Amino acid sequence: MQVLPVLARSHEVVLWTDQDEVAPEVHQIAPIARYHPGAPPWREINNGTISIYHLGNHLDFHAGLWQVSTQQPGIVVLHDLCLHDFFFTLLVRHRKDRGAYLNAMERWYGQEGRQSAEAFCAGGVSAESMTQNFPLTREATRNALGAITHCGGALEELQETPACPAAALDFPYAAAEESRYRARLAARDGVPHPPYRLVVFGYLNRNRRLEPLLEALAGLGEREQFRLELCGQLWDESHIREQIERLGLNSIVSLPGFLSDDQVERKLSTCHLAINLRYPSMGEASLSQLQFWDYGLPTLVTRTGWYASLPEDATAFVRPASEVADIQAHLRAFLADPGAFRAMGERGRRSLKDHHPQTYVDAMTRFAAEALQLSRRASALALARSIGSDLTEWLPAAASPYLLERVSKEIYAIFEGRRRG
Amino acid sequence: MKILIATSGVPFIRGDAEILAESLRKALSEAGHQAELVVIPFKPCPPSRIPEQILACRLLDLTETCGVRIDRVIGLKFPAYLIPHEKKVIWLLHQHRAAYELWEQPEAGDLMHYPDGHLIREAIRQADRELIPEARAVYALSENVSERLRRYSGIAAEPLYHPPANAHLFHNGSASDYFFCPGPVNSTNRQWLAIQAVAQCRERVHIRLGGEPASFPQQAKSVNKGKWSDRVEWLGRLSEEQKRDLYANCRGVIFPGVDEGYGYVALEAMLASKPVIATSDCGGPLEFVLADQTGLVAHPTPESLAQAMDRLWAGRRCAAAMGEAGRAHYQDLHISWPNVVEKLLC
Repeated sequence: MQVLPVLARSHEVVLWTDQDEVAPEVHQIAPIARYHPGAPPWREINNGTISIYHLGNHLDFHAGLWQVSTQQPGIVVLHDLCLHDFFFTLLVRHRKDRGAYLNAMERWYGQEGRQSAEAFCAGGVSAESMTQNFPLTREATRNALGAITHCGGALEELQETPACPAAALDFPYAAAEESRYRARLAARDGVPHPPYRLVVFGYLNRNRRLEPLLEALAGLGEREQFRLELCGQLWDESHIREQIERLGLNSIVSLPGFLSDDQVERKLSTCHLAINLRYPSMGEASLSQLQFWDYGLPTLVTRTGWYASLPEDATAFVRPASEVADIQAHLRAFLADPGAFRAMGERGRRSLKDHHPQTYVDAMTRFAAEALQLSRRASALALARSIGSDLTEWLPAAASPYLLERVSKEIYAIFEGRRRG
Repeated sequence: MKILIATSGVPFIRGDAEILAESLRKALSEAGHQAELVVIPFKPCPPSRIPEQILACRLLDLTETCGVRIDRVIGLKFPAYLIPHEKKVIWLLHQHRAAYELWEQPEAGDLMHYPDGHLIREAIRQADRELIPEARAVYALSENVSERLRRYSGIAAEPLYHPPANAHLFHNGSASDYFFCPGPVNSTNRQWLAIQAVAQCRERVHIRLGGEPASFPQQAKSVNKGKWSDRVEWLGRLSEEQKRDLYANCRGVIFPGVDEGYGYVALEAMLASKPVIATSDCGGPLEFVLADQTGLVAHPTPESLAQAMDRLWAGRRCAAAMGEAGRAHYQDLHISWPNVVEKLLC
């Protein structure tokens, strides 16, 4: 919703969905068209100059999109980079097509990938290990004309995909007006302290590192100087409550649960430090992180995935290998110099100018135009693969170098021009 | 000269392009050359296989046969016109229309209905843009085809007109009380437009539709139930002789089609000294119809077409005069096979 209004102002946009419900405000921005993943209306879809597919890890939202994207090449925007779980669940559990999953693993990771996949299917390897070692990101961009990620670190792997250019764009975010930002800072200044207010936001899964966070807080001599609120749905609330109890943090840690938009506004305007850890990371960019900066909040993040690419002077990093010690060091540093952390949050807020949706749209459309220019290369490679595969069946490579050279030159001529030697 | 005519065709399908290729071969032979057809089988579906067919053409070697040099290759149809030859001349009948003008007419073109349609379209367009200019000269079937080539591929081509098959056998007979609407019955020939026009006519106009229906149009089903159904006659498939007789004895000829590559119907009407009613978007025939002199040009609506039909129906003398003017105009155009041969071999 950050990008769409801006994109629709300068381009004719049609939103395709296989979902039953679409947020009412989206109808105001662009026409909605529906498709069935098993029988997409290609004629209507082909009316567009280019298709942009937003893919992530959520099977209900993204399986149909991925299915269409494999047939009609377009730009794939990756909202998650670790897609192993997505493909395993889709191919093996839903489609009952173990072979397709094994082939995908072999396609990108060779024999090692296939063997690990077989071991995983047999229960011999953990899901976490598969996700980290075999993210299957490239399977999502297999037929793409281009891939957009919001994580610069992902480019290296993506650019190994033949004929598919990739770009890392800053995650789009429309920052609040300066006056509103100033009001938020003023609200924070009005909060009596200590104790300082710490918050964790969002869907609080195991990878949000609540256990080491609680452990760090419990082991901190100055822990009474802080109050921690875990805002959002917990993956296992009773487990977290047990931890809080066990560590003697009942007076320090509270669980306010899911917050409304108004409550979020109040909470972020009156807290002092946001803790936004992820490990392992699925590689995704964090809208919450940009939101924290929009309130001028300093943040603790894990030095991994997208978070590792954040400005060094706008965030405090926690290393996965020494989480408890790093968290404690940062909290002590905070107590020693709250102003330094406040300045960190302000620098984060300033960095939001790089995330302006118009900047994002401009970069995305430029990239899409370049990818379209290169699309004939995708056709050339598809033809070369097809011909190469056929020739391999009956022609020893050494038998006819002339033929191979001639075929190569003609494919080049057909798709790229007549610069033949 | 030893000349190969490179064209492509769908096996078991014979149409105007096949007749043209054979006529060209005959004309070249009559001019004293050795000419043969090289017909590449073309399979447009699925479109993903089209690049392979382009490549197959590019790999053919037509430079010589049994040690004897091929002096000239004349390319006619996609992808055969992409076969390389040092002295190739292209006489473009049409490009792969689904990748060009029919992309915008999904009911007529097929490529747009495929998920990889965009990619294949771009591959075809790129191959045409890059490889058509290899030819030492590029001619087009008509101004309409030439304009498409310029618009889509940025390549100039001189229109080169040729006579319809058996042009010398067309003749003028009486002017009976019917309009003739020839051609295969299909969506692009839009016979339904002429049928709907009959219902709008003030005069008691009759039309005869000649040609085999590819599918019986929905619009025709409804007209058969209408009060004017006795004024529309479906003749079905016609022999060449029957067709010429229908031309010879009609009041005028109607061509309501859309974006036709070449104006065969107009030329045949002119040879039979008959006026032509053409629609303003019919393409090739408009190159030969002089509005209000050799025929009438109507908007592609039943109302406009009906007005034109009424005018010729009521003005028998005017219709005859336009027909004569059409015949004279045909002579002025100097459309002949020797001209075609001379151009292609110069």
